[in-house]
Amino acid sequence: MKTTTAITRRTAIAGAAATLVAPAVVKAQGQTLKIGSLLPRSGFFAQAGQSMHRGVLAAPEMLKALGYNVEFVHIDTESNADVARTQAERAINDGCHILTGAFDSGQTLAIAQVTEQRQVPFVVNVAAAPQITEQGYKFLVRNFQTGGQLVTNGLRLIKDVMDAKSIQFEKAVFLHANDTFGTAQRNAMDAIWPRVGLPIQLVEKIAYDPRAQDLSVEVAKIRSINPDLVMCVTRASDAIKMVRDMVRQRFQPKAIISPGSPGFYDEEFYQALGPLADFVLFGLPWANPKSNMTQAFEKAFVKANPNNRFAVDSFNAGFAFEGMLIAADAFKRAGTTNGPQLMEAVRATNIPEHVMIGGPIIFDAKGQNPNIGSALVQNLKRVPTVVLPKDVALAEPVLPFPAWQGRS
Amino acid sequence: MNPFATLARLVDEAPRRALLLLAAFVAVLLVAPVVLDRYLLSVFFLIFWFATVGQAWNIMMGFCGQLSLGHALYVGLGGYVGALFWVKFGISPAIAIVPAMLVAVAFGAVIGWLGFRFGIEGVYFALLTIAFAEVARIGFDNWSFVGGAAGFFIPVSSAASPVNLRGGPMLFYYVALAMMIIAFILCAALRRSRLGHAWLAVREDAEAARALGIDVFRAKMAAVVISAAMTAVAGVVYAFYQNNLFPSQTFDIARSIEMILAPIIGGLGTLFGPILGAFILTPLGQTLIALVEKIAGRAIPGVNLVFYGAALMVIIWFTPNGVWPWLKKKLGIPEGRE
Repeated sequence: MKTTTAITRRTAIAGAAATLVAPAVVKAQGQTLKIGSLLPRSGFFAQAGQSMHRGVLAAPEMLKALGYNVEFVHIDTESNADVARTQAERAINDGCHILTGAFDSGQTLAIAQVTEQRQVPFVVNVAAAPQITEQGYKFLVRNFQTGGQLVTNGLRLIKDVMDAKSIQFEKAVFLHANDTFGTAQRNAMDAIWPRVGLPIQLVEKIAYDPRAQDLSVEVAKIRSINPDLVMCVTRASDAIKMVRDMVRQRFQPKAIISPGSPGFYDEEFYQALGPLADFVLFGLPWANPKSNMTQAFEKAFVKANPNNRFAVDSFNAGFAFEGMLIAADAFKRAGTTNGPQLMEAVRATNIPEHVMIGGPIIFDAKGQNPNIGSALVQNLKRVPTVVLPKDVALAEPVLPFPAWQGRS
Repeated sequence: MNPFATLARLVDEAPRRALLLLAAFVAVLLVAPVVLDRYLLSVFFLIFWFATVGQAWNIMMGFCGQLSLGHALYVGLGGYVGALFWVKFGISPAIAIVPAMLVAVAFGAVIGWLGFRFGIEGVYFALLTIAFAEVARIGFDNWSFVGGAAGFFIPVSSAASPVNLRGGPMLFYYVALAMMIIAFILCAALRRSRLGHAWLAVREDAEAARALGIDVFRAKMAAVVISAAMTAVAGVVYAFYQNNLFPSQTFDIARSIEMILAPIIGGLGTLFGPILGAFILTPLGQTLIALVEKIAGRAIPGVNLVFYGAALMVIIWFTPNGVWPWLKKKLGIPEGRE
């Protein structure tokens, strides 16, 4: 066999590319990326903002272990779009090379105005308004599902669990908070439900005020319809009220499933309801319990936040961490903190191994990650546990629900 | 009312020293962007914006004595109308300001008519204003033509166009500054007008004003619609500044409260009060954020808000009628002249 040592055109190109890239990589190793984390840690969204912040606190150790050289600036947006915008300006003035945030769509868009004008990359970690990636922002990517995707995936998981457990739901009621998120999910439901083709009769959609003292009227109405499936979009405190009123009124559906909302996995839900918090289901993007990176991140999380449970925070903390990971990874590849070049690297992201369920983290032309998956999660012994899809599930779904009475 | 004659009369009547100070102040603000960075420009935008809406609210409460706790309604209506005309029909916000004001005036007129025709006064009138803002929030939340609860978005554009309110913080700095100056002149002119005197009479004692032959209903209605129109203009500018509108944020009662803090702290019923209040409150909030970070070495959520609340209490404790009346006394400006 003849071996050749001649330099081919391909080798020459590879060599040239390596020569060009090498100084940048070396330079990146010497530099530090300053990431500004903007989250609503006080005000209306404080609970979620704090939960995400715990993920950010766990990030430095993880990223260091992965060989990334990053520095963090933690900024509270006070759940206020004006503050989010001015603080984004200040963060960039103070030397932040890339921003991540901001849980709420309004604040996220306020920050996007700044990053777009200043040509600083902005990695959106949680914010569901579809228009965020439809507005033509060149310096923004989103590593989160849109509101429509949340509902579509949530409904698909209901179909999957029906198949997996060979269970039929005949009548369903959709109960939702009448706040911004709840109304947006209701609108998405109106548009998507007919297309999904679930063999369930959706009898009634009921809106409620999440600040109401109790949900006895709404639950009484549901009870009179007697559906075997209750779908709901809640926040933490109203999710508690809903379950309490169902128990009080001895209304026992086959299942309570949220097709994409918070409430059922908040610590206060478990604290307030104890065993009654068990067996409710929700379909959401979730941390992949079988991923090596998730397991490593969980260790870092517990170390950084010894008083908090990773299982409860994994949705918020996972996305917060992934925002940091995307930034750090792009910096490593770009070898520079220059905004446009860093943004090019962010857009070229391809991270196969990460925390949340789904395919590799990549971004389409609009800056949306199309690979984010959803899981069906069930509260089992006060722990949110992935029960579907099967390849990442840690337990079998429990359906129909055990009776409220007699739980311990 | 000839606006130029009114302006000339205002200049003639004002104390010379105060005029010079005012001119110097405006001149400083005009050249300030030369040294201000983008962060400070955005802070100043908020100062001017809150001064403008504070001035508008002050017409109702400060001049006419009618408490509104739902002024976010007019911000939202103005914003949505301006954005709708631009997004759906391509009509510049410079023109859309007119229909925005008209819609706000229509809503203001309905609220005013309901309130004043049926003798709903004081806190009950305030509740009525809150109710309208809440109804608007719920209505817009469910109105799919404007995006419903998922929000309404103005497309971003890299091309600067001052007429279409497309541009960076420098553009918005000057737009908001102009808005604040115009609002100030308008309020000064209104206050010195026959209507302004009628408002003050109504504020002090509506029955006595009626006995003097003042049409109280008309005076109150004028206060509501003028205030609504001014606030709607600020709403248009704000919508184009943020490029998005969410009913839950735009019509939020917290927004209404935020808007009325500047005139209350600055001095209710005064011309400089809303401006002074905005110049105190907005930088105070921003400074406290930075200060807490500097002292603690990191952001501690909520701590700056605690200090903010404490600072407000201190201000109110020492200057219960607002900062401007106290400052006016210190500056030796005679009573009744601003």
